[in-house]
Amino acid sequence: MNAEVPGIGAAARYIGKRVLRKEDPRLLTGRGQFVDDISLPGMLHCAFARSPIARGRIVSIDSTAARDVPGVHAVYTAEDLAKVSFTMHTFFMVPTSVKTPTLAEDHVAYVGEPVALVIADSRYIAEDAASLIEVDYEEEDPVVTLADAKSGQPVHPELEHNIAGQMGDEDIDEDLEAAIEGAPHRVTQRVIHPRISQSPMETRGVVATRDGPEELTLYITCQSPHTIARWVSLALGLPQTAIRVIAKDVGGAFGLKNHPWKEESSVIIAAMLFGRPLKWIEDRYENLTTANPAREQDITLRIAFDNDGKLVASHSEYDLNNGAYPQAVDDGMAAQMFLWSAYKLPAYGFLTRAWYTNTTGLAAYRGPWAMETLVRETALDKAARAIGIDPVELRRRNLVKLSDQPTASVLGLPLEDITPAECLEKLVENFDIAAFRKEQAEAREQGRYLGLGVATYIEPTASAGSMGVMTGELAQVRIEPTGKVTATMSTHSQGHGTATTMAQVIADRLGVPYEDVTVFEGDNSRGGFGPGAAGSRQGVIAGGAAIKASEMLADKVKALAAHLLNANPENITIDEGMVHVEGAEEMSRSLSEIAGIAYGEPDRLPQDLGTGLEVQYRYQPPPMTFTSAAHACVVEVDAETGFVKILRWISSEDCGTVINPAVVEGQISGGLAQGIGMVLLEEMPIDDRGNTTAATYKDYLLPAISDIPDFEFLHANTPSKSIGGMRGVGEGGAIIGPPTLVNAIADALSPFGEIDILELPLTPSRILDLIEGRDISGSAARHQAQAGAQLEAPAAAEAAAPAGQAAAPSSGAETRIDGDWKMVMKTPMGDQEMTGHFETDGGTVSGYLASPEGDQNFTGTVDGNVVKFDLKVDKPMKITLKYNLTFEGDSVSGKVKLGMMGSAKLSGERL
Amino acid sequence: MKPAPFDYVAPTTISEACQVLADAGGGATVLAGGQTLMPLLNLRMSQPFIVVDINRIPDLKGIARADGGTRVGPMTRQADALADETLAKHLPVMVRALSHVGHHQTRNRGTVGGSVALGEPAAEMPATAVALGATIEVQSTRGTRKIPADEFYLGPYMTTLEPDELVTAIHYPDWPAGHVMLFREVAQRPGDFALVGVVGALVVDGGSVSRAGIAWFGMGPTPIKARQAEQALVGQSLSGIDAQAIAELAVADTAPFDDHHATAEYRRTVGKRIFARTLREALQIKEAA
Repeated sequence: MNAEVPGIGAAARYIGKRVLRKEDPRLLTGRGQFVDDISLPGMLHCAFARSPIARGRIVSIDSTAARDVPGVHAVYTAEDLAKVSFTMHTFFMVPTSVKTPTLAEDHVAYVGEPVALVIADSRYIAEDAASLIEVDYEEEDPVVTLADAKSGQPVHPELEHNIAGQMGDEDIDEDLEAAIEGAPHRVTQRVIHPRISQSPMETRGVVATRDGPEELTLYITCQSPHTIARWVSLALGLPQTAIRVIAKDVGGAFGLKNHPWKEESSVIIAAMLFGRPLKWIEDRYENLTTANPAREQDITLRIAFDNDGKLVASHSEYDLNNGAYPQAVDDGMAAQMFLWSAYKLPAYGFLTRAWYTNTTGLAAYRGPWAMETLVRETALDKAARAIGIDPVELRRRNLVKLSDQPTASVLGLPLEDITPAECLEKLVENFDIAAFRKEQAEAREQGRYLGLGVATYIEPTASAGSMGVMTGELAQVRIEPTGKVTATMSTHSQGHGTATTMAQVIADRLGVPYEDVTVFEGDNSRGGFGPGAAGSRQGVIAGGAAIKASEMLADKVKALAAHLLNANPENITIDEGMVHVEGAEEMSRSLSEIAGIAYGEPDRLPQDLGTGLEVQYRYQPPPMTFTSAAHACVVEVDAETGFVKILRWISSEDCGTVINPAVVEGQISGGLAQGIGMVLLEEMPIDDRGNTTAATYKDYLLPAISDIPDFEFLHANTPSKSIGGMRGVGEGGAIIGPPTLVNAIADALSPFGEIDILELPLTPSRILDLIEGRDISGSAARHQAQAGAQLEAPAAAEAAAPAGQAAAPSSGAETRIDGDWKMVMKTPMGDQEMTGHFETDGGTVSGYLASPEGDQNFTGTVDGNVVKFDLKVDKPMKITLKYNLTFEGDSVSGKVKLGMMGSAKLSGERL
Repeated sequence: MKPAPFDYVAPTTISEACQVLADAGGGATVLAGGQTLMPLLNLRMSQPFIVVDINRIPDLKGIARADGGTRVGPMTRQADALADETLAKHLPVMVRALSHVGHHQTRNRGTVGGSVALGEPAAEMPATAVALGATIEVQSTRGTRKIPADEFYLGPYMTTLEPDELVTAIHYPDWPAGHVMLFREVAQRPGDFALVGVVGALVVDGGSVSRAGIAWFGMGPTPIKARQAEQALVGQSLSGIDAQAIAELAVADTAPFDDHHATAEYRRTVGKRIFARTLREALQIKEAA
């Protein structure tokens, strides 16, 4: 007897079962179809000549010798590619904020930037020729680190600084500062996260072929063929219908493959120019040294607590190295949005800034905002030790519980059904902390250092509708005339097993054997638009679509069967491919018999029922669905060598309805493996000339199977508000893994003190730093040198600061406010232009702001040349904008507080 | 990641191989198990004119007893050596060290001679050869040479092997039955090159150490013989051994450097500890009070 699935409201037939994956027989017998498996008639191969320097002007490119190599068909530079109009877009489907060339034009901005493309009979020949291309560079000093970015020359000549994006307040609010400084307990946590490589097992790659004047077919390893078609269409300005994108199997993506970047785009353009199919497969050297990396961030979080260990106030300052050409600027706003969402914190402020540098541009990576969980959860443990309170208890006192909801986070995010506190309780019910503490104490007496780490988090998943690129998903389900079921889905798997989980859902809700369901995906000519894998979304949204479509289809079968069998539709059930009438076993019919009639015998159908058995449903779920979790991990640190051994790891997650526990646990395990890598092993080192110095897996250390423990899983199964009750689970492991492990290590090391600055990875050298109280790893010396360098260059930093800072009101200056002003506000969604009309009357001001979206009237106050007023807006969310403008002569500047979004800068001039 | 063009020859005899190397005048590279050479070719960090594949020379394979020791043919696969009964009986430390060379998959292809001849300073095989007092036998059209392993290594990936010379055997002298084995390495992941490692053998005779052969790997530009520690140990009674003091002498002979994975200071600090720990455990001696 199957238990009822709360999110479904019915007994489970396949939902919740560990069925075997439909993908595996193909993948495990070598019959997967990856991009490099594609070979088209007449296909040629590409290789790139890349910049050996991080920054410089291209004086000349001589490709004569390369062209002379037998087997070389063409050598293209930016000048050649310019024949096809192509605009690089971001993940958000808008043009990049700085001009991003496909092949470098007049200058290079990072080591490995593609400068020329060779087309040849084979990759061997293409590489031979690429090495013969002579480029004369005028080298300049690169901006490599975050410290360089703050004081160095602008990476992009069109900008006056290196700030790619900024949110929050440059000057901390006085009341907030007072609240923090006046609190009985304060803790500061700084986390320095290195740059890491994306390292999917299948590197980037594309086969591009122009099939007609306006027809392009792309085999490309990606996260959604639909998104690729949309992106390429926008970049080319071609109608999307002419672009076919196929990606049957994908060997991991993690965010790197959201959309094409410089290399893939160059090959696509070259294929359009050259007319023959072109293939480029990124090799591992290219992947490690030039594929868009992740992270490289530096955050300092301050937290204040009262005497009971309750949160009082917090502030953070956060810098992100975005490289030269990020796939989308990451200003850390998402991290800020979720940093304190699960906790009862009365007051919070932040400053977060994205910086351009002469390094490879950032791409999203599984849990792109993960720093918020890492810094918060490690800071909370630090605080627990400082206050002398159990870390679990500290969280208990501050987490938002189910009984507290609905409520809103400190930044205004509505919370309805998050369950981190409940996950934590479930975790500690299943882990005897007291017994561990006893074991830990005994071990310490023998000179063995055990540690327990606990962390909690929430994760926004299944985003839909809040950002234009994140849409609903479509399920098209049909019962074939044979009675078998075919579904074409807008999903896409990079190892997620969507062909399995969607088949489970369909079989369950339709009442057919799992083996009878086939799911087709991975081709934009099939099914409807869907953004695929990005933001832990497919199980929730496509799962909901599949459930609804299957139920609608079952209703049609029931209506037809009722008509044929002269029964009441309510008495008809479908089970394992058989249609039954309640209480009349002899009337049972197979689904294939019913389907045969539905397609082939229209005369036998009721009048209002069309022929065939097919349904499609596009599901638009709630804008966001939260997943929660609490994890615990036990480690032993070898105090002699600084090595960490993970002894146990328990995951207590709540991803709502679990479609397939094996798939869910696989997702969590994969994320945790990446988390373990980030904490213990992974770092993409960059030297001071901008060279990435780990060019093979001998130097770039990924966690191997020997580094990953057997994880234990607890599932909480609190249904979400979406159809089926699922919550996304793709990214969570990579988000909660790092703080769980760091906390365990910090607990083990607590007899030696606190990890002062948490710089990852926690290599054996860095762990010995703490144990021995000396700088064995050299990290402290490096931090000191950097801090010194920053102190020495205040003038440069000042000069690089963005324009528009509110100047102090200059008394006595003759400034007329009345009239029309052209103003630009810098918001997370881009620059917003408006015209402001002001009329002053003594201490009051009134007027309107006019923008393409419409006019809004305001009234406010005037004090000298400072004008303040509030405006309420509904889009993109309900917030009150607080304007604080200073007028000086013919220019205006100031700040606009955007509610939970921090502050935006505004500048303008008199019209 | 595709090699630059090269000529490929696969001789079947040692003399034929030596002739190819002599004719190439320095432009040839020898392909043994390919675990290092193939990536270097693919990365174009190595661009030889000729690749001399010695996989088809039967005389380079196999393990045999010879001249009061054990002769290991350079083309013996690491996996075969690991499973070899002669090695297990006479040179158990070789077996222990081999189990740390790469991974199952790479050991199926990688060879003992390839690792010895390459001279990666953090690898197990060169240090083991140095520690045990092995002799490396090489041949060219000019004749043959026998080079003591501790004179063979000049720097990272640099040896006294001339471009026209081929390693034809590694000869390990016998250590008496019942000798004490020393081995420990610290590597970030199983199968990685060591951050620091120590390998060796001790002969204990009547309660005193009568012979010692110990070498470091990952502690300098070459495998490094722990000469001062060896000298201090020989003649010392087990009860009189101060493991900590010997470990300090051992580290005094090293010249580790900083790299992306660990600092020199880490290597010295941890090297000293693993040396002392290994010595104590092997000799079953207690920590000096």
